[in-house]
This record gives sequence, C-alpha cells and structure tokens, in this order.
Amino acid sequence: MSVSSSLSRSPDRHGSLAALRRMGLTVALMSAVAAAVLMPGGAARAATPPGVLVVAQSIDDAVSFDPAEGFELTTVQTFNNVYQRLVQSNRDDGTRIEPALAASWQPAADGKSLTFTLAPGARFASGHPVRPEDVIFSLTRAVKLNKAPAFILNELGWSADNVDQAVTRVDDNHVKIAWSADVGPAFALAILTAPIASIVDEAAVTPQASGGDFGNAWLKSHSAGSGAFTITTYAPHEALVLDANASAPGGAPKLHSVILRNVPDSAARRLLIEQGDADIARGLGSDQIAALKGEAGVKVLAVPSARTDYLLINTKANATLGNPAFWEAARYLIDYQGIATNLLGGQAQVHQAFLPVGFPGALKDTPFKLDIAKARKILADAKIGPTTIAFPVFNEAPFLQIAQSLQATFAQAGLTLDIQPGVASDIYAKGRSGNYAITLRYWIPDYFDPHSNASAFAINRDNSHNTVARQAGWVIPELSDETAAAVKEQDPAKRTALYEALQHKIQARSPYVFMLQGSEQVVLRDGLKGYAQGLNSDQVYYDQVEK
Amino acid sequence: MLNTASETSSTIRVASRWFGFSRWRGAGTAVVRWLGSVALTLFGLVLVTFAMTRLSPVDPVLQLVGDHASASTYAAARLELGLDRPLAVQFGRYLVRVGHGDLGQASSTGQPVAADIARTFSATLELATVAIVIGAASGLALGIIAAMRSGGIIDAAARIVSLVGYSIPIFWLGLLFLLLFYARLHWAPGPGRLDVLYQYTLRPVTGFALIDTALSGTAGAFRSAVAHLVLPALVLALYALAGITRLSRGAVLEQLGQEYVLTARAKGAGPWRVVFVHVLPNVTGPLLTIVALAYASLLEGAVLTETVFAWPGIGRYLTVALFAGDTAAILGATLTIGSAFILLNSLTDLAVARTGRGRDR
Repeated sequence: MSVSSSLSRSPDRHGSLAALRRMGLTVALMSAVAAAVLMPGGAARAATPPGVLVVAQSIDDAVSFDPAEGFELTTVQTFNNVYQRLVQSNRDDGTRIEPALAASWQPAADGKSLTFTLAPGARFASGHPVRPEDVIFSLTRAVKLNKAPAFILNELGWSADNVDQAVTRVDDNHVKIAWSADVGPAFALAILTAPIASIVDEAAVTPQASGGDFGNAWLKSHSAGSGAFTITTYAPHEALVLDANASAPGGAPKLHSVILRNVPDSAARRLLIEQGDADIARGLGSDQIAALKGEAGVKVLAVPSARTDYLLINTKANATLGNPAFWEAARYLIDYQGIATNLLGGQAQVHQAFLPVGFPGALKDTPFKLDIAKARKILADAKIGPTTIAFPVFNEAPFLQIAQSLQATFAQAGLTLDIQPGVASDIYAKGRSGNYAITLRYWIPDYFDPHSNASAFAINRDNSHNTVARQAGWVIPELSDETAAAVKEQDPAKRTALYEALQHKIQARSPYVFMLQGSEQVVLRDGLKGYAQGLNSDQVYYDQVEK
Repeated sequence: MLNTASETSSTIRVASRWFGFSRWRGAGTAVVRWLGSVALTLFGLVLVTFAMTRLSPVDPVLQLVGDHASASTYAAARLELGLDRPLAVQFGRYLVRVGHGDLGQASSTGQPVAADIARTFSATLELATVAIVIGAASGLALGIIAAMRSGGIIDAAARIVSLVGYSIPIFWLGLLFLLLFYARLHWAPGPGRLDVLYQYTLRPVTGFALIDTALSGTAGAFRSAVAHLVLPALVLALYALAGITRLSRGAVLEQLGQEYVLTARAKGAGPWRVVFVHVLPNVTGPLLTIVALAYASLLEGAVLTETVFAWPGIGRYLTVALFAGDTAAILGATLTIGSAFILLNSLTDLAVARTGRGRDR
C-alpha cells in the first residue's frame, strides 16, 4: 500500500539577525495568545446535516477508485462500500468467508476450480442484473490491466494470456472459476475476497471504455458496482461524495450520503470532530487521541489492524549484516515496550511474528525484550565489533521516532545507526535494488489469508520474485517449499500448524525483527451507531451507520 | 523584498521605455517581443522544473504501484508514464503535447492535469485575491499614515503589525485563528471552502465559490462561502500587509523629505493634501509594484495555509505532486503559476508606465 507523505515547507522567510532579536518579543506574544486561546471551554455547537455522514481524513493518497487499480488506503477503504465481491470476509472474523454476490459455491473434485451460483435478483446500482458476464469482465480486466494489485490475482496462476479460459460462464446464473496454481479452493476463496475481485457492471463500464482500457480511465473517479453506495462526486485532494444505493442487494444503507472530506492537517481534523462538523475523524496522532479521550461528545474506537512493523536487514549489505548472530543480537536491542507505550501510545502493541493476531495460526508470544547485555554477548561471541550501519527510514511519524529509539539502544551495543530519512518511494526503491543496510518497514496483508504474509517473508528460491525475503537478499529454498506446502494444504488444522511452524523458524532466525502490530484509533461523535471496521485495511463499512 | 522591489522598479523603467506604450508606432513589434520573452521564460521554467523532477529521489512508478506490485506491473507502469525513453525524448514529447494544449494526465490523481489545475488554481486565485485586497488596502493605509505620523502611536502599531506578519509562522497563526474564532468564539466556520450542506450540491460553474454561490441564488450558500473565506484570507492578508506596510511607509517617508514637499508646505498645503496630491502620485509606481509582488507570491499558493484550512488550492496540489514525483502535474502547476506571475508583472509594468510620471518633478 503506498503511503502519502505530508510535508511542511519551512515557514521561515528570512533568517537575518533582526529576526533573532524579534524572537523574544514574538515568543512572548505567541505564548500570551496561546494561553488565552487554550483556556478550557468551547463546547461543540455545529452538527452535520441529518442523513449525511462527514468523515474528516486525508484523501491525498487516492490514485484510482477503479477496484482493478486502487491500492491506497483511501481507495481500498471505499471499495467495500461501493462494490461487492462474489464472496466477502466476515466483518468481525475475517477468516470466515460469507456469500455476497454469489449465493453459494461448489468446489470441483480435483480442487482446482469453484462453481458459483449468483445471488438471485442481485442488481447493480444502474439497475442492470448481475450476470456471469460481469464476473468474467471484472476478473479478466483486472488481470489484463495489470495495475498495482494485479499480483493478488496472479497468485492463482492467472495471466493476461490464460485468464479468459480460467473464468467461464456455465449458464445464466453460474460461473466457473478455475486456476492453474498449486493452491486449494479455500485459498482461492480468500483471494476472491480481496478488493481487486470486486464485480463491476460490464454493461455500464463498456460504453465508457476507450483505447482498450476496459473503462479504467472512467472508473478512476466513477463507480459501477452493487454496493451500498455509489460515487457521485470525486474532486481529488478535496472530497469523495458517496450517495446511497437504495437497490443495493445487501439492503439500502441508513444514510443518504457519505462525504469523505480531505482535511490534510490532523489538528484541523481534531477541531472538526470536537466541534461536531465531522462525524468521524481518522489519522489523529496519539497525543491528539489522548487529549480527546474523556471529552464530551466524542468517543475513541480502537480497532486492531493487521499491519505489522518490522526491521528489515539486508543480508547482502556486508558480512556483519549477513551474519545470523547480528540478526539475533538485533532482537535484543529493541525497546519494544517503550516504543509501543511511550512513542505510539495505544496505536500499536508488541508483536513478534509475521502473522498478525486475528489471522489463523498467528503466534502471540513475545520471546524478545530489550536486553543489552545479552546482545553484547552475542555480538562479542560472533566477533562483531563497533560499526556504523546505514538506516534509511520513512520521513514521517512514527517511523523517525521509532528509528531514534533504535538508534539509542543499538548504540549501547556499539552499533551506530546512521538514520537517513527519505520519501516512501525512495525507501522502496532502495529495498528493491538492495541499496540499504537496515530499514524500518511495515506490512499490511493484501487479502485475508496467511499466505499473503508468508509469501512475502518466507519465499525466495533464487531472487527471481520481488518478495521481502528477496529484498533482504535471503535465499531460502527450504522455507519456500514449506510455504508452498502450507498454501496447498486443504485441512484447516494442518494448515494452521504449518504456518505456526514457519513463524517459529522465522522468529528465531531471519533477517527480520517483527516489533509491533498496529491498532487504529478512529474518533466518532457520540451519537453515531453502526460503524464497523475490521482487521484488514479494506474492512471499513458505512452501510449500517446511523446518526 | 526591498531589493527585489527596487530592481523591479528599474526593470519597469527600462520596460516602459522599451515598450513605448505612449505611442502606437512600434506597438506591434513590442507585442511580438513581449510574447517572445514570455515564451522563452516559460520554456526555461519548464526545462529547469523538468530537470529537477528527474533529480529528485522520488520513484514515480513505485509511488504509483506501491512496493507489493509485481515486476511486470512495475514495468508496465513505467512504460505508461513514458519513463523508459531518453530524457530528451520525454521532454520533447512534453513540449509537443503542451504546444497542442494538452497538459497530460496526473498520475497522482488519475485526472487530466488541466482539469485539476482549473479546480485548484481557481481556489487559490479566489483566496489570494480577497487576501490581497484586504492586505493592500489596510497595508497601504497603515503605511501611509505611519509615514505621516512617523514616530507616533500609529507608526509603532504599524511596526508591530508588520513584525507580527513577518515573524509568526503562518500555519501556526492559521491554527490559532481556527482555535480562537472557530472552536472557542464560534464566530467563523471551520476549515474548508463551504459548508458540506452546499459544497457538493451546488454545481461548480466558474470554480470560484463566491461567484458560484451568488449565482445559485441560495443566500445561505453565499454567506457560507464568505464566512469560510474570512479566516484564511485574513491570515494571508496579514502576511501581505507586513511587507506592504513597511515598504509603503518607507516610500512615502522618503518623499516627505524631498524639496517639492517643502515647497508645497511653504505654499500652505496641509499634511493630507501634501500626501494625497503631491506625494502619492510620485510613489504610485513603487506601491503598485509592491502590491503586485505580494499578490504574485500569494498566487503561488500558500501551501501551509491551504493545509491548515483544508483549502484545495494549487499550493497543496503542487506539493502533493512533488512528493509523488508526478511530473505532468508538477510541470502543469509550475507553468500555470509562472504564467500568472509573468502576466501580473506585465500588467503592473503597463500600469506603472501609464501612471508613473511624477506630478511635481
């Protein structure tokens, strides 16, 4: 998921000595005004219009509202409200797969295809019925367009050349989905819960297509789905307006519109929610959340997230970083609890395995804690002396703060971390080209299945595919085989056991140090009911919201 | 700013001679020359901006597809953005497209750059215009009175106001204004351009909230547009006012020491007559230049003010595009701002050339 970076240009317009002399006066003046302003009081007085939900957040990251392309937080959080898939993850327990546009499904005897029965009477917001042709159009265009999330469907072995044979019409209300990859139906179903598997209205999109783009240019800012809402207005960097779809197969929503307002400054978002000019505010800092807790009129909802934060070590950077003793020592040089409690205040918990809690088989134990003496001993035994390590880090909160904490603790073992702040795409590029020593990264699963994470961290046979293991330069044929076996396994209990074993191995010895699992804090107005948000990043639901 | 102002006024003197506005003879040549110099300036601007986007560490492809994307997706996106071609070819193609009036597609918004700019620049233009009207009116008044009562209470007040306008970080002032006038006193509405009640129900015609709401005939909508403009416009006006006050005070004060002022006084002219009839016509040029420069800097889009007040202007658009490595959007926004700057400068030159002849000298 790409990260939008906010920035601030230096407000200092002139750096003369005169400015320094003025500073004393200015500071005094500023504090006086600030004191006057910060006096308690100022209760909410505004209210958003009835039936309209106003969400204050940043939507600067949004690139495309086409489910075949959108892969940013803002867009994936919209897809569940605008589109439906054949099947969906349960809101509370994402591992449970439920019918959506498909009423039922039947795996073939060979376990390499599924036949779906479409829900009778299901219609798109346009009024068009949902047909097998729509399923075929949606899935094949997503593969052929080959945009950011296409790799999710590629997991089924689909490519532009073979996807037309893989998704076929059986009759008026049955569609067959087959795959060539060595995976079972349970995994295929999990893939079909991803936003990219959203079903779009072929009859509405095709007339908008131009130059063989399958309607991609049009769908970037329009919708053609069967979800609870439709996109009525999208002004980039300004707002996304959703209107209720009264004929939604899942039932008409309780609101008549949802407005996602772009409020790029988090302090302004806080003011809006406090004053009642917004019903929901996202992306507030932990200090702002702390200030809002206990305030009348608002409540803070803490939602566990599937995001994991980890330290990534480039084993090819030099002999020290390729030494497993260094990987082990690093595990004892992190102040996990201090970072979670003091730096992130409720926005993350200590977590030390690659599957987030909430995924089947996730390890909950935390065997590592800050232990400088132990780390020193490990380093001394491995004859690793004091050294300087280049450490590119995302130039934004909370990564820089976490990096500073690591810098302080690593220094106590003679390891100097040279923090190099950079924009996200630059850090990613460094990861891909292997041009870094260690870096801080996070991982958000792309679909609700352990393989989404396992395939990133535990597959790298020959550096041929862009996995996290490849970015670490860590060639692991045996673990890759185990991962392949796990995704193939049809028995749920056995499959879970395989992922537990994989996590134990990677926890004990790997160039990754898992540190935290995220927790999202969303601020709601008191009177708001029915808002639901799940573990995975796309699981945001406005259809049941009432004011 | 003082240096720039005096440089500009000397450019203006050269320009007015060069253009020969007072005569019709040679006007055609002057226009051709002017267009030529505008084209050259814009070309240089685009060239430098293009080079800078290529030097930046941002990877536009990764920014677009994210780190999870497959190698084939990455390659396809790179191809689509035209990044596989040599830099000179990329630049040439861009120029050809711009020549045909096509600013291209913004990768960071998925929309045509021209549409994005039409929306964001009108938001900035509206805010900057209101701010400069407030800033120039109050700044000139304050500056002139401060010069007349040099050393007095108003002079001290002018000094403090311009000092405050200069030294206080603009985002901090914006937040403080919101906290005080929106959250505590409830005099002003919160961040944004309009109440949500109107913002997405009114069809944008001109892109200017004030005009669109006035055209809509909904009284509440127009009131809401005005109310939302007040705080950000005041913040920017204070910033503009700081410079305008100082420079206009200096300009008037300098003239007050001239011999023609003494002569006028000797003839019995009162202080107001001296300033308005004798001094002001002599300082119109510099004053116009000062105001135009302040206006031009507001038109660049005040990114921090736009951020704090959730104002969807061109400053934020350009900034987000910069961080996304979105070359088409960066170049389009730079061209727009550059053109506005040049146009404003030329208009000022023209105005100064027409009014700049002193009365008493």
